[in-house]
Amino acid sequence: MIVLHRFLHTLLIVIVSNGLEAEKHDDSLINVYIEKDYKLVLPEQCSALLDVFAETVSNFTLCSIKYARPIRLCEKCVKHYVEFQTNYLKLENTIVNNTSCLSFFISQDRLNAFQEYYNNIITIWDKGHCSDCFDWSANVPKIKNSTMVFNNMFSNTINCITNNMNPLQNDTQEICLNCMQSYVALDDFYKSLSKDSIGVDSICMDIVDSMNTTRSIWSKTLHCCDIRKTPELIFLCCTGIIALLPLLFYVTVRYCRPIRDLPNVLKESRFKQSILRSVQGRIN
Amino acid sequence: MKTNTSNPSLIAEGNSETTADTAQLISNDDASTSNYGQLNNHANFHDFDDDDLHGSHGVRRRQPLQKIEPGSMNVLSAKYESLDYDTCENHLLLDEERKRGYPFVVWKDIARWFIILLIGVITALIAFIIDICIEQFSNIKYKELKKSVDKYVLMDKLYIPYLLWVLSNICIVLIGSVLVAFVEPVAAGSGIPQVKCYLNGVKVPRVVRIKTLLVKAVGVITAVVGGLAGGKEGPMIHSGAVVAAGISQGKSTTFNKDFKIFQYFREDHEKRDFVSAGAAAGVSAAFGAPIGGVLFSLEEGTSFWNQALTWRTFFGTVVSTFTLNVVLSAYHGHPGELSYPGLLNLGKMEPFPFQFYELPVFILFGAIGGLLGALWNYINYRLAVFRIRYITAPYLRVIEACLVAAASATCGFLMMFLLNDCRPLGEDPTKVPLQLYCADGEYNSMAAIWFQTPEASVRSFLHDPIGSYQPWSMLLFVACYFLLSTWTFGLAVSSGLFIPNLLTGAAWGRLLAIAMQDMIPYCTINPAKYALIGAAAQLGGVVRMTISLTVIIIETTGQISNALPIIITLVVAKWTGDFFNEGIYDIHIQLAAVPLLPWEPPPLTHNIYASEVMSHPVFTLRTVENVGHIVELLKVVSYNGFPVVDPPLADETEVTTYKRLRGLILRSQLIVLLQNKLYNENANTAWSNFNVNMNMFRKEYPRYTSIDKLEISEWEKTCTIDLRPYMNPSPYTLPHRASLPRLFRLFRALGLRHLPIVNDVNEVVGMVTRKDIARYRVWRHRGHMGMEELLLSSEI
Repeated sequence: MIVLHRFLHTLLIVIVSNGLEAEKHDDSLINVYIEKDYKLVLPEQCSALLDVFAETVSNFTLCSIKYARPIRLCEKCVKHYVEFQTNYLKLENTIVNNTSCLSFFISQDRLNAFQEYYNNIITIWDKGHCSDCFDWSANVPKIKNSTMVFNNMFSNTINCITNNMNPLQNDTQEICLNCMQSYVALDDFYKSLSKDSIGVDSICMDIVDSMNTTRSIWSKTLHCCDIRKTPELIFLCCTGIIALLPLLFYVTVRYCRPIRDLPNVLKESRFKQSILRSVQGRIN
Repeated sequence: MKTNTSNPSLIAEGNSETTADTAQLISNDDASTSNYGQLNNHANFHDFDDDDLHGSHGVRRRQPLQKIEPGSMNVLSAKYESLDYDTCENHLLLDEERKRGYPFVVWKDIARWFIILLIGVITALIAFIIDICIEQFSNIKYKELKKSVDKYVLMDKLYIPYLLWVLSNICIVLIGSVLVAFVEPVAAGSGIPQVKCYLNGVKVPRVVRIKTLLVKAVGVITAVVGGLAGGKEGPMIHSGAVVAAGISQGKSTTFNKDFKIFQYFREDHEKRDFVSAGAAAGVSAAFGAPIGGVLFSLEEGTSFWNQALTWRTFFGTVVSTFTLNVVLSAYHGHPGELSYPGLLNLGKMEPFPFQFYELPVFILFGAIGGLLGALWNYINYRLAVFRIRYITAPYLRVIEACLVAAASATCGFLMMFLLNDCRPLGEDPTKVPLQLYCADGEYNSMAAIWFQTPEASVRSFLHDPIGSYQPWSMLLFVACYFLLSTWTFGLAVSSGLFIPNLLTGAAWGRLLAIAMQDMIPYCTINPAKYALIGAAAQLGGVVRMTISLTVIIIETTGQISNALPIIITLVVAKWTGDFFNEGIYDIHIQLAAVPLLPWEPPPLTHNIYASEVMSHPVFTLRTVENVGHIVELLKVVSYNGFPVVDPPLADETEVTTYKRLRGLILRSQLIVLLQNKLYNENANTAWSNFNVNMNMFRKEYPRYTSIDKLEISEWEKTCTIDLRPYMNPSPYTLPHRASLPRLFRLFRALGLRHLPIVNDVNEVVGMVTRKDIARYRVWRHRGHMGMEELLLSSEI
């Protein structure tokens, strides 16, 4: 207990000596610290909320790591994300002694662990454009129609591929032929989802990843889109002809130019020459 | 202002020997107080032939040819005139100063600042328009081409999109090159050599006209959209210069419109100052580099450190970047964000830390840049000579430009066809990702580079991660683009060389970075750093600019801490390049036979005296001169400045002597005088003082009527003009024993046009003009140097 008192004493000094801003800001804190035991520094209400919030953070983190590969993060963790956001808002909106609960946790120290974890989750969620998978108009986020359509088509394609897969045969042509329709439909649908048809900046990551996987399987594992069939002879001939044209042009110009008169040198009039001329004139 | 010294016999005398008198050479040595003539007479007489071959004092001189092969570097064209940077302090100026007083000085100062503001704003707006047009049109073009490729690659008919590309390139380039070749040939190329000449004091015909600006703007848009390996930065500098020259004059001769403002700026001195500010504003708009702009105009143009002008120029450059920033950010949908300072944006570079042991690497990069730059210049020089000799007709120049456009498309398409360098979609900002033969979800990285403007490609090379490009495709790209860019520069299209060279340099810089990474795998190499250094080295090796280029690169990347590596690289690149040949701008200036004065006089020339440099028989006018004589003289000779001398004493008509200098009068002044018929019938009558003021001269500026178009009737030819109120009564002169360096420095620092050479008693013995000095040129090649005397020709 003595140790604790000494600690509080030094803390007080530090706070006071930290200047006006710290003093003003931490008035309520000091009261809290002094009134009660150090362990009970927080208002009960807030600490309860904090416990719940911590729980949701850990739930989301767990979920997001679990569904990191292949990415199903948005779909599977949306529940946790919503809880996480709600609890955060609760913390923010619960006011004890004219102070929001949130202000007990953020920007109090160098570590700022609370804020770091919060930001982390927000960043992950936003980076994956996860909100784009859902319809947020209702209270509870609902999976968007387009997402559902995509998921259906995706599973169709994958099913088609797995069904047609013949482990004994190396020839993949059959799969390509059979699943071409569903694959192309999927691809086209995906392209229609975003403006730039790449979809990195707006489509939710679940979809992007599914599509990437499908494409990779389709073109790299199954070699279904090897489109270089003929050597494009006409094209090569055209390039050859056009590449030869400048050469032809230069040679023609070089040897078929009209003969021109070369420019004359201007006779300069200098002191030396004029003296010479006059001297010569006098001798003659 | 009375004509009291003249006597009646003058008129008769003037009539009888119309041209001969004043221009006649003297034959008696007594008249000359120069002992040079006497001393050297004998010796010169004996080795006349020998002397003509070698010139004087070991100066290398070519065989005294009668004909010149076009495209040779050792010729000066007699067609280029100089600017009158020197103020003519005649009576009219004094009158004006007396009448208007200090309020006029203050007013002029305010007007100058206002004009600079306008120059900055308008230059930026032009830059904006050019930029937007290029962006939009390229976007449309490449989007359509991508659609076509996507469609036809499945049908194995790749030649259709290819021919489409070739055709679109040709059509777009055709517009620009027809404009350049037929409408305004001076708008070809980057315009920097022309602006450099103008700022140096050479009047390049038509270089700062509004027509040139229009052709330039359309030309640069078509060149870049047409897929040529060219940039829009050089033309921006030229545009800035034209804007400055146009606004400061308050009138347009092309549109025959006089706004009756800024009349007091209608002279070469003021105009050149504004043009230097305009060029700086152009640099600043092109690169987002206000300080670089100021330094550019100092490095390339001004002859001395003009504090007030520099400060105004800086204001103009800052206004220019600011305006561009405002309009571009508004256009891109972030009004007020101000994050688009220039057309060329290399993107924010991280401050790259560098170690001591990296300095040799930078030196190596500089050396490679210098070598490649020298090679680039050499190839371009050979091409330029070929073009001067064989491709002179405008239609041939148009065909050539179209062929290059087709070849550029061919090069690009072949590269993406042959190199299957695929990258996953979405990792980099690619506007038009082209799949071609790549797997789904991937795109062809070569196509990405060819299907965007070169500027965007520079950014990709600078910022993409190290594994983004395969070394082999980079190598092929470097070779291709290097050749294409040197082939393109000098075509009849307006495009610059900054971007293509930055692109080539960034590509080989990145290539070397990859190589280094392979050699020392345990180090992480930052490819952005070496790509930037490579870009700087390549550009430095080609243009050989030092101060302004360093600052421009620092400003475009926004990192002052990169200064040392960039400076080291640029210095080494310049030295290495200078070992072989000169900067590309200087090569083109020399091919155009422009009498440009370099920074320093030729070394070891203190033994060359004014008496050798000057033109000797001087055409002089008397203080009170006969109109007929003036007209004759103006028609016969092409000179622009005439010393005004005392009339010879009447009894000495037999022996022509040198005459005492009273002043200097310009051809333009004489023409205005004749045009306004400011002459008297009788030399003795009192001078009737009409309302003559400076505005009479300013009204005609800058295009004076030619003497052949003036109509002077017979009776008028007997009238006389008193030149004294109009001439410059105190021109700079030097004695005949002055050395070449002294002449040179006077010319360079004061921006002189004519310099009368006088003897000990202030009698005119000769005249020195810019061409007389510029013909002594220093050459440097592979460690040797020397001086050669150039030939003059009035037919190139």
